[in-house]
Amino acid sequence: MAETILIVAAILIFLGVALGVLRLILGRTVVDRVAAVDMLTVVSISLIALYAHVGGRAIYLDVALVYGVLSFLAVLAIARYLEQGL
Amino acid sequence: MIELFVYLLCGSILVSGILAIQLASTLAAAVSAGLASLFAAVCYVMLGAPDVAMTEASIGSGLSILIFLYAIRRTTEKAR
Repeated sequence: MAETILIVAAILIFLGVALGVLRLILGRTVVDRVAAVDMLTVVSISLIALYAHVGGRAIYLDVALVYGVLSFLAVLAIARYLEQGL
Repeated sequence: MIELFVYLLCGSILVSGILAIQLASTLAAAVSAGLASLFAAVCYVMLGAPDVAMTEASIGSGLSILIFLYAIRRTTEKAR
């Protein structure tokens, strides 16, 4: 059961990365690309968390934590830039 | 399984780098460059170097986008 859930999660993460990169390539406006980058960050965090569980190493979760905090900062900076604030 | 993800991440790094060169908008190019660094950090985790990945995520993906945006804003104001 747990194995099945992990495999389904891996397939979903794979599709998420592939479709996010596709949106990044095709994206018509800049906002589309920024949204794709934000989604890819979340998918990357989930990929690191999944790998930490599969590999049995809790230290990788710290990387996911740092990632989450800093991706928020980066998207906030981009939003401020688009609003002519930065 | 893990190799498949490493191949996907390496291909994504390549695509992001090409987009960072090719895109017309400077903001989209800076975001693509940050994305390449983000995928590189995930690749480092996959290859077993979490400390390198943490540094790459904090500097490459977080701080460099911030500095790029600041520099783009400042230089376009000067050119105007």
